[in-house]
Amino acid sequence: MDVSRPGKGRLRVAVTGASGEYGKLLLPRLERDPDVESILVLDVARPEGAKVEFHQVDLTRHDAESELTDALAERPVDALYHLAFLFGPIRNGSLAHELEVIGTMNVLTAAGRAKLPRLVVPSMTAVYGARGNNPALLREDSPLQGCPLSRFVTDKVEVEGQVRAFRERHPDMRVLVLRFAPVLGPTFESPVSRLLTRTSVVPTLLGFDPLWQGLHEEDAGRALHLALRAEASGEFNIVGRGVLPLSGLIRQAGARPLPLPGPLFRGALHTLDVVGADTLPVALLDYIHYSWVADGELAESALGFIPFHHVRDAAAALKRS
Amino acid sequence: MAKGVLGNDPFQRGAASRDGAKAKPGTQAKQDRSPSERGTSDDKKKTPSTRAAHASGGNGTSDKGQAKKPTRGKPAPAKSKGAPSARGAASAKASAPVKQGKAKHGQGAHAGKAPARPQEAQGQSAAKGGASTSTAKASAPDKTEAELLRVPTAAKEQSGTKRGANASATKASAPVSAEVEPLREPAAPVTPREPPPSRTPPVADPRTERTPEQREVDHALAEALAAEVAEVTAKHAVDVAMDRRDGADEPVDRLLATELATELAEAAVEEVLDHSPSTRRPERERELAATVAEQVAESAAELAVVEVMNRRDSAPHARDALEERAANNSLDEDDTQERSNLDAPHEDLAGAVLELSDLDETPDEPDDAWERSALPLSTTRSASEPEAKMPDATRDEVPPSRRGPLSLVPTSGEDHAARDASSDPDAPRPLAQRATGMLSLAREIAGQALASEGLGRAWGAMNGMLDAVRAGLGTGGGSHLDEYGKDPSLVQRLEPVLEFLYGQYWRVAAQGTDHIPRGAVILVANHSGALPYDGLVMSLTLARERPDLRESRWLVEDQIFHAPVLGTLFNRLGAVRACPENALRLLDEQRPLVVFPEGYQGLGKPFAERYRLKRFGRGGFVKLALRTGAPIVPVAIVGAEETSPLLGRIPAGFLGLPYLPLTPLGPLPAKWSIRFGEPIAMDGLPPEAAEDLGEVGRLTERTREAIQGMIHTLLRERRSVFAG
Repeated sequence: MDVSRPGKGRLRVAVTGASGEYGKLLLPRLERDPDVESILVLDVARPEGAKVEFHQVDLTRHDAESELTDALAERPVDALYHLAFLFGPIRNGSLAHELEVIGTMNVLTAAGRAKLPRLVVPSMTAVYGARGNNPALLREDSPLQGCPLSRFVTDKVEVEGQVRAFRERHPDMRVLVLRFAPVLGPTFESPVSRLLTRTSVVPTLLGFDPLWQGLHEEDAGRALHLALRAEASGEFNIVGRGVLPLSGLIRQAGARPLPLPGPLFRGALHTLDVVGADTLPVALLDYIHYSWVADGELAESALGFIPFHHVRDAAAALKRS
Repeated sequence: MAKGVLGNDPFQRGAASRDGAKAKPGTQAKQDRSPSERGTSDDKKKTPSTRAAHASGGNGTSDKGQAKKPTRGKPAPAKSKGAPSARGAASAKASAPVKQGKAKHGQGAHAGKAPARPQEAQGQSAAKGGASTSTAKASAPDKTEAELLRVPTAAKEQSGTKRGANASATKASAPVSAEVEPLREPAAPVTPREPPPSRTPPVADPRTERTPEQREVDHALAEALAAEVAEVTAKHAVDVAMDRRDGADEPVDRLLATELATELAEAAVEEVLDHSPSTRRPERERELAATVAEQVAESAAELAVVEVMNRRDSAPHARDALEERAANNSLDEDDTQERSNLDAPHEDLAGAVLELSDLDETPDEPDDAWERSALPLSTTRSASEPEAKMPDATRDEVPPSRRGPLSLVPTSGEDHAARDASSDPDAPRPLAQRATGMLSLAREIAGQALASEGLGRAWGAMNGMLDAVRAGLGTGGGSHLDEYGKDPSLVQRLEPVLEFLYGQYWRVAAQGTDHIPRGAVILVANHSGALPYDGLVMSLTLARERPDLRESRWLVEDQIFHAPVLGTLFNRLGAVRACPENALRLLDEQRPLVVFPEGYQGLGKPFAERYRLKRFGRGGFVKLALRTGAPIVPVAIVGAEETSPLLGRIPAGFLGLPYLPLTPLGPLPAKWSIRFGEPIAMDGLPPEAAEDLGEVGRLTERTREAIQGMIHTLLRERRSVFAG
């Protein structure tokens, strides 16, 4: 916060989960943005940054809501980014659930109390679910079929439900949900990037080669930043340019696809899952079976978000890391 | 280009015995230019005439030949146009008394007048013997100021006498160019750039062997000079050519053409320098390089302009490709696509190079040859060693390594014969040169054989099939899919296979394709056969019969779309899962959309029920048509049932499929007939009618009857399943 430059800093932004993957993408951009006066970080750990005002909040605690309300009421903010989500391998399912669902509930309640003008929540295109009856391009109004096998995706679908209900209760607020395609990049950690980079051979289903999308992490950071000023509300698919078949994506990322016959693959995967081996998540089976391609047109027209990177480049960036 | 030279040479040699050259000076200039015809000197002058024609045609000084346009493309008319004046100028010099030294102004006046009486001048020059080099110089001033300044540069290196002659020629035609292009005057300051060594007359130069290092430096210098010359020449020539072409010219096109011409010229220079004997003096080399660059650039400019403009006119979207290839001279395109109308420029270039290879031999002559005559003609020399330039002729301006795409052109027997003739070692020739010639010939033939049509196609088909299998198995990769999952590059690689299936195996006959309106249209067809080849064939038919329509897609039902291997492969080939969202989006994109309303039932009916239409779903396609206003075109397909008859079903629940069809492993060669009916327009029906089940049912039934009727007609017309 630089008092010597009056009029320069105008926006005050609050961020939860600033140390997470999305936070790491967004915070440097906010630091560089001359219109952002200060960044109120509501997190368990303090990130680096000149504009950062740190306020320690643990979203999984039962009193998180009142702490958030206090912090937000102390100095009103212009926007709240709720980025506190898990990205690493989820060993503790209940913690993840607490953070995703209960944490979001707390944030939403506090945001409603503080009458924030803008709330941005990231989601992912995986909430549409990979199903055989998906259209070629999923629009934002397609039903969220999720993935029953994946707790991760199920929680996300639930979070989206909460946010949608919140938006309906607060029509004067701008609530933006950004549904990101799998974010790929040299620093971004996610189940998909782990799948693609951990081993040199990635199992796929024999005879199937669904279309995947990918989003370069730079584009993801840009989309998050754009949401700060966008005159829009609702859900938006944030996807990279183009599509790749899964085998092409794997090749671009520097690995080799290993097609396995479906029944065999399924059985082996379930067995491994029961045993508890840290292998491919069973949940991914759907996504390597059917296409789940989201339509990024609305983000382009409403948010002005145009991806710079093709999926190819995003996957290749994964290889370089 | 490559072919031009390679194919040309034998013709030139053969032409030596022909005397038809005079009959058609404009069109047969390439033959005339052959150095081996040393008896007929007037032929020689057509070479410079080509170059002069570019300039004078552009300047509009001599538009005599404008009316007669030979069918050879752009440069040809220019040639015929400029011929008289160039010949005149040349002959003026030809008739100039050789020993008069500097007193050439009077001759200059002659040269200026010469165009008025070309016949006489021609006769004189014929008497004197050809004047290839000097005529080139004489006509050069017509071109640009820059060249005008460079030409003396080159000329001065030769001999005092020669210089005088050139200077006079320059002056003779200078008034013309000054009149026509007053704006070019400021280019004069280029003069100081003349390389100092050229000032010493080569006569006095001692013959010394240069060390390899020295020669390298010399080459580099010469190439640099040549590059400059080439660029200036190309730029101007392109400007001229562009100005002559009416219509919109864009800076991009100019740049492209210039770039192309310069590239060509530089390649030619490199080639010439690479093969110049080590005994050649550096200043000769530089002169040679400059001249080669200038002439090749000049000739190539026309070609480049034609190329660029053609590309732009015919396929605007191909511009990117052109730009990419501009650096590679785009010789391959020349050869494959525009051979017919670009032959003339090729030959121009070939001729220019040939002539220059003449020129570069001249210093081997005793120096008094220069004093004997101001016309340093190759005549005498080429008489003594007629085969010396052959290696140059068998080679191209472009190094063989850059000539790869040439071999993709199916060669004709004539070409081979021609090349054989060119390598005919009947004449005495240095062993090394002969070996080089033979080697390049052998490589050429080997390349052609490897890329011969049959083998190439078989290889391509095999690769395509392999790719298809890999795509089906889900390991194909592919990085340029569209959002529906079609892989255009795979389709392209499969083209030989698809072409064979379409043209020779199934012999698809399409009728009534004119009925298909442009824009969004729903093509409703009967589904048949155990394996859904019909969608693929429909898309092939539309692509072949109606290339004016946008690329079509066909909808397939979930059971096929999600079948392993087959579904994935079909998706890559253009199949889209049948659902209203996809259909609406495809129609939004103004594509023809092929639907099979029978759906899976159509595929599942036993062979005994072939060509009996099943229920047409719930009329989804009619609702679609009503909502979008797209017309419905009924289509009847006959032949698909026999291609893959369903002989039985194997339960395949374990694979996630209702059954596995029992059908011949490969498709059978039944003859296909596809008939497109009259379109059923949705005029007068509002989009709300889609909710009116009665209306939807009526339209569905109407479409169904139209298709059933056409099928019956086709079946009646068919005499044999396989022969058609």
